[in-house]
Amino acid sequence: MDSNLPNAAVLRMEGTNNDSEAFRSLRESGLNPKYVHLHEIETKKIDLEDFQVLFIPGGFSAGDYVRAGVIFAIRLKTAAGSKINKMVEDGKPILGTCNGFQVLSEMGLTSSRRESRDIALDVNESGKFECRTVLIKYTGKNKIFDGKISVDTIYEIPVAHKEGRIRFLNERVKSEVIGDNRTLFRYVDPEGALSGYPWNPNGSPENIAGISGEYENVLGLMPHPERIAYEYQLSSGARRMKKVPIGKLFFQAISEYARKL
Amino acid sequence: MDNGRTPTFSGSIPIRNSDQTKLMNLSRDMGLGLDIDEMIRLRNYFSSMGREPTETELQAMGQAWSEHCCYKSSKIYLKKYLSNLKTPYTVLAMEDDAGVVNVTGDLDYVVKMESHNHPSAVEPYGGAATGVGGILRDILCMGSQPISVIDSLYLGNGRGEVPEGYLNTHFTNSHIVAGIRDYGNRVGIPTVAGSLHFDQNFEGIPLVNVGCVGVIRSKDISRSRVSSTSDILILAGGKTGRDGIHGVNFASRDLEKDDKESKKAVQLGNPIIKEPLIKAILEANSRGLIAGMKDLGGGGLSSAAGELCLAGGSGGEIYLDRVLLKEEGMKPWEIWISESQERMLLAVKEENVETISGIFEVWGIPFSIIGKAVPGKRMKLFYRKDLVMDLSLNFLTSGPIYSKPYYQRNSRRNFMVYLMDPKNLEEEIMDVIRDLNNSGKFPIIRQYDHTVRGNTVVKPFAGNPNMETHTDSPVIRLDNDSTYGVALSSGCSVNAMEINPYTGTLWTMARAFRNVLCSGADPHSVVDALNFGNPNHMGVMRQFVRSLEAIGEFCRYFSLPVVAGNVSLYNHIGKNNIPPTPNILIIGVIDNYNNSITPDFKEEGSTIYLLGSSGYSLAGSQYSRSRGKEAGFLENIDLEELSRFRKLILKYRDSNMINSIHDISTGGLLVALLEMSFGSQLGFVVDISFISHVRVLNKLFSESGNRFIMEVKNGREEDFEEAFKGVLIKKIGQVGGEDAVIVNDSQTIMNRNIRSLREIWERGMENII
Repeated sequence: MDSNLPNAAVLRMEGTNNDSEAFRSLRESGLNPKYVHLHEIETKKIDLEDFQVLFIPGGFSAGDYVRAGVIFAIRLKTAAGSKINKMVEDGKPILGTCNGFQVLSEMGLTSSRRESRDIALDVNESGKFECRTVLIKYTGKNKIFDGKISVDTIYEIPVAHKEGRIRFLNERVKSEVIGDNRTLFRYVDPEGALSGYPWNPNGSPENIAGISGEYENVLGLMPHPERIAYEYQLSSGARRMKKVPIGKLFFQAISEYARKL
Repeated sequence: MDNGRTPTFSGSIPIRNSDQTKLMNLSRDMGLGLDIDEMIRLRNYFSSMGREPTETELQAMGQAWSEHCCYKSSKIYLKKYLSNLKTPYTVLAMEDDAGVVNVTGDLDYVVKMESHNHPSAVEPYGGAATGVGGILRDILCMGSQPISVIDSLYLGNGRGEVPEGYLNTHFTNSHIVAGIRDYGNRVGIPTVAGSLHFDQNFEGIPLVNVGCVGVIRSKDISRSRVSSTSDILILAGGKTGRDGIHGVNFASRDLEKDDKESKKAVQLGNPIIKEPLIKAILEANSRGLIAGMKDLGGGGLSSAAGELCLAGGSGGEIYLDRVLLKEEGMKPWEIWISESQERMLLAVKEENVETISGIFEVWGIPFSIIGKAVPGKRMKLFYRKDLVMDLSLNFLTSGPIYSKPYYQRNSRRNFMVYLMDPKNLEEEIMDVIRDLNNSGKFPIIRQYDHTVRGNTVVKPFAGNPNMETHTDSPVIRLDNDSTYGVALSSGCSVNAMEINPYTGTLWTMARAFRNVLCSGADPHSVVDALNFGNPNHMGVMRQFVRSLEAIGEFCRYFSLPVVAGNVSLYNHIGKNNIPPTPNILIIGVIDNYNNSITPDFKEEGSTIYLLGSSGYSLAGSQYSRSRGKEAGFLENIDLEELSRFRKLILKYRDSNMINSIHDISTGGLLVALLEMSFGSQLGFVVDISFISHVRVLNKLFSESGNRFIMEVKNGREEDFEEAFKGVLIKKIGQVGGEDAVIVNDSQTIMNRNIRSLREIWERGMENII
């Protein structure tokens, strides 16, 4: 490991299970990733201040027998709430995918005003766990990704979740998220249009796949950029057309941004 | 005990003066599952010891001598047909909890498959979930990181009658799928491969066969034995409860209706303990802290502790009161045989106990030191101040071996079958596409996370997003440091098995072999999960023996090792036995996973070839099964031809002339062509006039022979024909357009839009799950 690279924490607790691909994507993009168990934060063996990037990967934290992400969110807030707030304010990238997005939302970090929890993730419209490759487009304005991810390209990306349908507290919240260009990615069909199931795998309003929070360095996504960072992960069609995997662009952008912090 | 005083035996049960009736009553009342011969052997043993057995001792014997633990009905035949199937690259076969096979350098894979049929019949959700849990532990206990879960399911199709007292088919099927989904997804290991077969013969008796593959560096392999006579024994993971008491005895007898007693025999799974347990064990193992390891599965602690000590040449002393319990008031024998999930038994050198305890504490894993290995051959159990068991391990593991009789000749009369031509062939084709066994399996497979961990190269589906087709064998890459991957194909040609268990098994093996080739991988090793009916039935034993003979012959021919396996008997309801179902998993190795092949058509204008010879019989096909005419004479499998395919496909895999390959199996040529088309929505025009001089039904739906369809790059046809001249090839058409067009004898027998056909195919399963 190269200690000159920005440190990235991959957070773990019982039931986190997307950590190995998260770790690999961060390392490949030129960051210095380290697994951090929630227990190590709780017992103060590890201080989040030492990290420039925080990645909360997917999984089924604590089993998700209650609402997805709730227990992790409460424990994380108790153990490191103020440290994470400091990271947010310092502009450090805080990333949550799948269950990690659910955790960020339960902590209120993807909201228009932190503390007011105005987004939740509900059971998919199909009622089922959906493991499929979907298509997305970059539709936000964000200092990390602008110019790095093309707004005109359709990208493949895997989803694998049962609770990924975004619910806004009310219409006003939804308009704010859209109006402030916080909708990072949207699900599209092969023509690039906003279509229904299965192109929108969970029924999220306006086909929103990922958003940023009050601070644009807080990133919550249902799809898994960490699972599509190599060519072998692309569909046969995309490979033949020599497309670049979105995960590669996504993590490179985060890495470049983190180096300037 | 510690103070050196001789402890007293507690709770003796008199058997030395019991007659046969009393012995059998005892076996039944205590749930031992032992028969009269076995009970008499026990009586004689304790008579010679000069004392009565304790309750714990009798229970321990019931576990150790169950079919599930000692393979008493199958062992003699397994030895006869499947021993000596090893290759130089086989590291461990049929020795420890899973097979270990070398790929290259110090890179190995670990593999195992097991059935969880009886539990899944009475408690489908829990039974299937703990099937996944159990197989993960088998891989983990070799010190290996699990990389893929495989499941082959044989389910009712809703058309048969569920016998009274058994669970409704729809309920059973959805709960089995939910069990696999919830466990596999929560534990975060991708479920990438497997098979689904629906038939009315599985109504009430579903088969759930679960496999797992892991990866390991040779130096990290942990054996299932203590390393010395002074190792400390640590039990880690889930706590011990009353769930799963007598699981092995239950799996070793007939399923009975309203099997309420048996519900207790099904364990409860907890993937959220398993997931950190995997991480903690792998960390401890990579730091060299584990001297030996065994997972707790069938038979619980009794089986794991006994085998761990015996294999390491030691005896054992265990203090049952130190086992962490889920509930108060458990009796010593219940602790000893409980099959509670998520538990691992570790042998640890005294100096490492503190370090390993620290790892478990970080991960929040409950654990306790329960005893130690000692010199000698005896297993002694203590509970508080009492000695509750003192038996020689040799006697415990000297389970009986039966040479169950079987019919020498086939009692079933085969006859020629003639299927009438349908009135409307195109309508018939639509029925074939929507047949449960031919149609898309998306409603089930999309519920399994097959991309977690990011190592899936060929997924269960290939093609355009949301419009994929099935792949022949998914490919998983092994690690970050090499280009090697494994291709996995698992299943059974049940329709063929029903006609002839010997040839049907060859069909099963050949199909898995072809599937692995289709992904561009070389078949490398074999794992079997053998599911059969009542072994006391001579017809069933004949099926079993014939099937083993075929596995042996196939593996010897291709020099493939059988590295792991499992036998599940008593899959029957009364006189209705399941069809003989040897589920075969073939693992292929690919040297560069970037060169894997998928079956979806790749480009307009490429040429379609049909490869392989066949007599085009419909015997053993899904078509004749669905028409209710399943008999007939099964065609033989030409192993020599298959061997030529193996050489050619691997030789020309990277020659850039083969765009895609697909095996012809369930649903025949028609379904194979459509599946290639469904992945990319590219149509085709095919003329089948000259592939054979048989009726069109046989051409379209026969599943006989070793056949493939290949899409050859436009302009490379001559090179291809030259390269493949050693096998039978026929140019049958072209890829292109948006329609599926099939011509026979100058007649167009089908001309339909691919998207509309795909819709029918995709929705075939809608009403069953």
